[in-house]
This record gives sequence, C-alpha cells and structure tokens, in this order.
Amino acid sequence: MSGSDIAAIFQGAIVTVTLSLVGILIGLPIGLGLALIRWANVPIAAGFVTLYVSMLRATPLVTLLLLLFFALPNIGVPINPISAAIVALVMNTSAFNCEVWRSALMSFPKDQYEAAQSVGMRAGQRFRRIVLPQIVRVSLPGLVNEMSLLIKVTPVLAVVGVVDITRAAVRIGAETYEPLPPFLVAIALYAPIVFALVSLQRWIERRQAAAEAAA
Amino acid sequence: MTMYPLTCSNFLSRRLMLALLVAQFVMPMLIGNARAAGLDEIKKRGLIVATEDDFRPFEFVKDGKPTGFDNELIEDLRKYAPFEIKQEILPWTGILAGVSTSKYDVAITAAIITKERKQSLAFTSPIADATHYYVKRKDDKSISSIKDLSGKTVGVQAGSALLARLPELGAMLEKDGGKLGKVVEYTSYPEAYQDLALGRVDYVVNTIINLKTLVAEKPVFELGQAVSGKSFPAWAVAKDSKELLDFLNGFIAKEKESGRFAELQKKWFGEAFPDLPVAFEPEF
Repeated sequence: MSGSDIAAIFQGAIVTVTLSLVGILIGLPIGLGLALIRWANVPIAAGFVTLYVSMLRATPLVTLLLLLFFALPNIGVPINPISAAIVALVMNTSAFNCEVWRSALMSFPKDQYEAAQSVGMRAGQRFRRIVLPQIVRVSLPGLVNEMSLLIKVTPVLAVVGVVDITRAAVRIGAETYEPLPPFLVAIALYAPIVFALVSLQRWIERRQAAAEAAA
Repeated sequence: MTMYPLTCSNFLSRRLMLALLVAQFVMPMLIGNARAAGLDEIKKRGLIVATEDDFRPFEFVKDGKPTGFDNELIEDLRKYAPFEIKQEILPWTGILAGVSTSKYDVAITAAIITKERKQSLAFTSPIADATHYYVKRKDDKSISSIKDLSGKTVGVQAGSALLARLPELGAMLEKDGGKLGKVVEYTSYPEAYQDLALGRVDYVVNTIINLKTLVAEKPVFELGQAVSGKSFPAWAVAKDSKELLDFLNGFIAKEKESGRFAELQKKWFGEAFPDLPVAFEPEF
C-alpha cells in the first residue's frame, strides 16, 4: 500500500464525515419537527408522519437509495450520486430521530407545560424555554446513538458511486490484491470520527450538569 | 402528558392503507417508463458512461485515477466521439440496472454476454475472451484436474454470468460421477480471492483474463483449466439504443483495424485475441 493509497482513504474520510454531518444537521431538526407534529396530534399531518416514520424504518437504506437514484430520473428529476446519498440519509435518519425526540416529548411532565401557560408564556416561548432544553437533555444519548449508526451506515452509499472510507479501501484491495492493510487503515479512521462525536456529547452533558448545579 | 385520541387515527389509518395500496401500483409505473436516448440527444448532452472501480485488469482505480483496459479505450473514445463523454465510476451492483433504466447510456465494462441479459440489454462486439477458468491455492495438492473439483466449495460473484454458467461445470463433473459442491457468492472478486487464500473456499471461478492477472500478481494461487464453453465480455447498452450500439461497434472496429485494440489487450491481459467475433449469440 503506497502513500497515495492512504491519501485516497483519507479523501474517503472527508466524504464520510461531510455526508454524515450534512445528514445529521438536516435530519435532526426534521426529526424534531416530525416528532412535534405527532406530539401535538396535528390533524391529518400526524397521520402522514406516522406513516412516513413506519415506512422509512421498514426500508433498508440501500434499497431506498437505489430506488431514489434509479427511479427519480424517470419522472424527470435528475439526481447525482451525492444528492441521492444525502436525501436517502436524511430521510432515513429523520425517521429514527423523530422517535427519539418523541420519546422525550412523551415523558415531558405536563404540569410544567400548564405552569408555563398559567404564567402567560406564548406557545413559542413555552417550547423554547421550557420544553426544548429538557427534551434535548433526555434525547441526547439516543440521538448520538443514531448519529454514530448513521456514520457507520455510510459505506452502503457506495452502491451509487460515492467513494467513502470503506469504498476507497475496497478499491485499493482490488488493485493490490491485499485487502487487509487498507481495511485496517479504514477501521482506524472510523474510531476517531465516532470518538469525536461521543466527546461532543460528553461536553454538552457536562455543561448542562454544571448549569444545573449553578441554578 | 398529552392524550392521543385513537378514534380519528383509526379512520386515518384506513385512508393511509389505501394510499399505500396506490403507491404499490404507482411505483412500478415510475420505474417502467425508461427510454433509451437516441444519438441526437446524446450529441446534445454528452454520452454518460458507467465503469466499475474494482475489476482489475478491465477497470480499476490506481492512485485515485481510473485505469485499466476499458479506461484506456475511453480515452481513445473521447478523441473519436464528436460529443462529450461523462464517466461515472461505481460498483458492479448498480451498473447494469443503471443502463437498463437509462441512467447511464453504456456500461463500458466486461459484461459477459448472456441470453438472460440480452432480454433487457444489447451488447457491442466482444472485447476479450472470457472463457471461465478455475483458480486454486498452489499448495492445495488435492486439486489437479477438473474432476477433483467434485464436492469442493466454489466462490463466484453474485449476479454474475459466471454464477449462471456453473451448471456447465456441474455437467462436466457429473460425467465422471461427481457433483458441484457448495457455492459461495460474493459481491465482488477481491473478497472471493481473500477467502480462497484463507481456505474457506477451495476454488474460485472467474474469466481467464482476470485470473491470469491475479496469478501473475499473487503466486500463492495457481490457474486451473477451462470450466465453460465459449464466453465473451462486451459493453452493454439499453436494448433499444440501436444507434449508439452501431456507433460503439464502429469505434471498436476502428480500434481493431488500427492495431490499438490488440496493443491494449497485450498490455492489460498479457495476450491479444485476434479472432474475436464481431457479434456473439450466447447459448446460455
């Protein structure tokens, strides 16, 4: 394995991190939005969200991706591999995020919400000041869990031609007929990426604990 | 705690079931109306070419750049074609599906011509000889000829023509009272070779060219004998893109005439195949 091979795997790492980040950053708020629609039981929309979540949770990511990639051009929507990958990741992760957010919302004490109402907070204020800070704390472990799964599911994006860490490693193995060294480099790259995510979670949790102790 | 009234969602779910049912019928319609582009359309928007990324010596990636037999031909095609060529590099899994749904105009890879594939695809003139051979570990003394393969575990690529033609080997073995052993399918060949080296399969079946390259690079393996009749790989286009097929066949004929085809075959396969047919009608 040459230096340029290792560089190729690092390039794959950039793709993995970028796609995962985009997926997480778009999927997170969409998941929250979906969870709120179900929580508030918005007529009709709540039913559609339920259907969306169950369908997406039942569809393997790779199948969803192939469907988007090959079916959308037929109805006149040209889609390149990267956009197809992002859309598939966001659709998939938002469904799972929705359920994590919803579990936090369901365990949210109703009396606090009523107390906020009684002191005259508007809906937006109630959500921002009372609900959100508490559900973030409850949801965080579940959300980070889903995020780390998302990072590790990115190798399936290779079926449409996205070259992530694993695909870059596979290519090198196919050229040298020595698949083990590139796979070792690949594994060594996933670990710090997920570790960075987990460190971020710990940092947020520590900050919250500190804020609570101060209050 | 908010309560969730179930009465209205019951009514909703019936409508949703209906929507689901409708979706089942609409989805195939979305997929079914693919139409291959004519040459005029290709001239305007460019030719979209799909190649593989881990199929040495035909197409593979070295130092981040696509190389191999087919990729060198694509370079020539860029000079020959009066239109732009856009290349997409992806794993085998999506390639033929992409061509038959017209996502790509042509798969410039070594797709073996088979009867089944001919139902949805059309093939150019063959680009090499793809008679199937077996490869084994050099230190495995239990295999010295085809009849020794009886009952042994074989590795092949899933969805490949090699897998489809294994019954031919089965027939050869049955003549001597043997039978085909367990078949293990892999998404691509590097994994199959790795498992052969580890002893999890006893032999791997692939085309003569792929195996010759492998054995030259990895002396732990040893090339066996032919396990199929005539077989040829070619480039694939959608079944109804006649104009494009003629154009590509014209290009291949010109490359053959100028001697460039033989030169590239020698470079990448170690030998030239001067007697390739212009068109091939597969038996299998």
